[in-house]
Amino acid sequence: MTVLNSNIPEAVRAVASNGTQLRYALMELSAQYKDAIALGRGDPDLPTPPHIVDAVNQAIRDNKTGLAPISGLAILRDAIAEKLQHDNGIPASRENVIVTTGGQEGLFLIMQALLDPGDEVLVPDPRYTSYDEAIESAGGKIVLIPTDHEDAFNLRPESVEAAITPKTKAILIITPMNPTSGIVTEDRLRAIAEVAIKHNLIVISDEIYEKFLYDGWQHFSIGSLPGMADRTITLNGFSKSYAMTGFRVGYVAAPENMIDAMTKIKAVTTGAAASISQWGALAAVQGDQAPLHEFHRIYTERRALLMAGLRAMNLNFSDPRGAFFLWTNSSSTGIHATELAYLLLKEAQVLIFPGTGFGENWGGYLRISILQSTDLLQEALARMQPVIARYGV
Amino acid sequence: MSLPAQLARPLAARVTLLPKTIDIEASTIFNEGVAQAAAKAMADGHTHYTDRPGILPLRQNVVEALGARYGIEMSADEVTITCGVIEGRFVALKQLVPAGSKILAVSTSTLAAAAQLVGADMTEDATAENIVMVFLTSADNAAKRDAILEQAATKGWWILWDMGAFGSDENFHPVQNPALAPKTITLGEVNELSGWRVGWMAGSSAANKLRAFKQSMTICTTSVSQWAALGLKGSAE
Repeated sequence: MTVLNSNIPEAVRAVASNGTQLRYALMELSAQYKDAIALGRGDPDLPTPPHIVDAVNQAIRDNKTGLAPISGLAILRDAIAEKLQHDNGIPASRENVIVTTGGQEGLFLIMQALLDPGDEVLVPDPRYTSYDEAIESAGGKIVLIPTDHEDAFNLRPESVEAAITPKTKAILIITPMNPTSGIVTEDRLRAIAEVAIKHNLIVISDEIYEKFLYDGWQHFSIGSLPGMADRTITLNGFSKSYAMTGFRVGYVAAPENMIDAMTKIKAVTTGAAASISQWGALAAVQGDQAPLHEFHRIYTERRALLMAGLRAMNLNFSDPRGAFFLWTNSSSTGIHATELAYLLLKEAQVLIFPGTGFGENWGGYLRISILQSTDLLQEALARMQPVIARYGV
Repeated sequence: MSLPAQLARPLAARVTLLPKTIDIEASTIFNEGVAQAAAKAMADGHTHYTDRPGILPLRQNVVEALGARYGIEMSADEVTITCGVIEGRFVALKQLVPAGSKILAVSTSTLAAAAQLVGADMTEDATAENIVMVFLTSADNAAKRDAILEQAATKGWWILWDMGAFGSDENFHPVQNPALAPKTITLGEVNELSGWRVGWMAGSSAANKLRAFKQSMTICTTSVSQWAALGLKGSAE
């Protein structure tokens, strides 16, 4: 792959080795292009369902806007526990749930509560690099588990077991996955659970994209398996499912002592999640789920459109079984993904995240989001085509 | 049906240092302007992530309020909207106070638990070794505060100036001494909207570093809360 050339702005070049900062640098750069089409960030473009907005407005009118308990409104924690039992088969009650300021904070709190300096966490590669920051901020060490295109980036239990050392404390799983849109299949989850039990490890299961699977694939929660209740920490939230990223509401389910510890940490790091957001989340989890079905229909249509468009450019991608992305192999262009993403922004005004935004090993991939209307996706494909063609795919 | 009480592995040692959590029940006063600003924000689709620093009008509001009250100049680029003042405090400590170092304060209680979490110690002794930051509020004794600031200027300590929980009844701000500006982080909160979780951190040469870490913790502050704060006249004061 071609080494980054000097045309890339310093603001991007300076952070090229840090996945998270690279993604933000590209987003900030794209603001300079008036007509840029954003296929980068995983922020659903669809409107938050009206019944959620109505619930928030009503809570404000009812003056239910005071400080919430640090661990979350009791009524919301109860509703989440019920959802976990009903949808995921995870045994839970209020004491097993903490409401967080988005899934990202949940991740931070988990690592702060769990890790001592030097503890290792096994993480599939490629990955959402905010995992790195959360683990490192607790003094932990991230250990990457290789996954590959041929296996649809499914996590292999034997790869997990091979990476275990005496310092390993936890295995982090995300399914459906960001950035690859693969899933960890039920058979693999069962085998990974056996590995966790055998080596007395904790499993952190990030299920933030659980509502969006395609082609008949089904979500499965590892925390529902026998013997996993005391070693599974489930991370989830409302942002992606209900198109309400700006409300910042997530949650974590875990044994009580873990929830107590996270609550203590939350009290001195951010305080309670916004009360209006929690009332909105309550409406989301208890209310009409029809908007999710409509979101799913829309995403399925967009996904098909984007897949066809990329194939027409002779670009191939990993089997997208869930989530919002097409993890696209761009190595045939011969251009490093960071540079290619910059060229697509500069010449086509299309913002796409390079694979290097998700780990240093992924300079031959792009993560392309489906989170724009079909019209904009078609426009983006039309703009991308001459840029990709120029590099002889 | 519930999960087991204990995780299969021990928790982090840092957890044992933290105090038991006490929830605070604060009454709120309904504000029509805030309610309308929130409703309009949602009607306009502001229910998604904001930019990482927070919405520009609110950051400008902070800058204007600081300028009007204290006569200090700051750019909106130096302001990050936080999830209340608590987040601002922790972000500053986590990024600027190495484990094993000390934070000097006139009153150490406010920051004690956050300091424990980052492995630092609080001290009221200005002659202690390894001080890297001073924590000051408008509630502190002015003479003690001035003496500490003089030392901070000499020794290059970071200054955490917390307006969040203590209000600002006087017209003093450390950055009125321009030499202190690069080392001073000003923290504030929209106190009338405590449950909405809107605060801010402003200024210093570390502003971008603090913003990046805040993003890694919570991505951004609740969008509707940020827009609603604009419905409160003088929200940044």
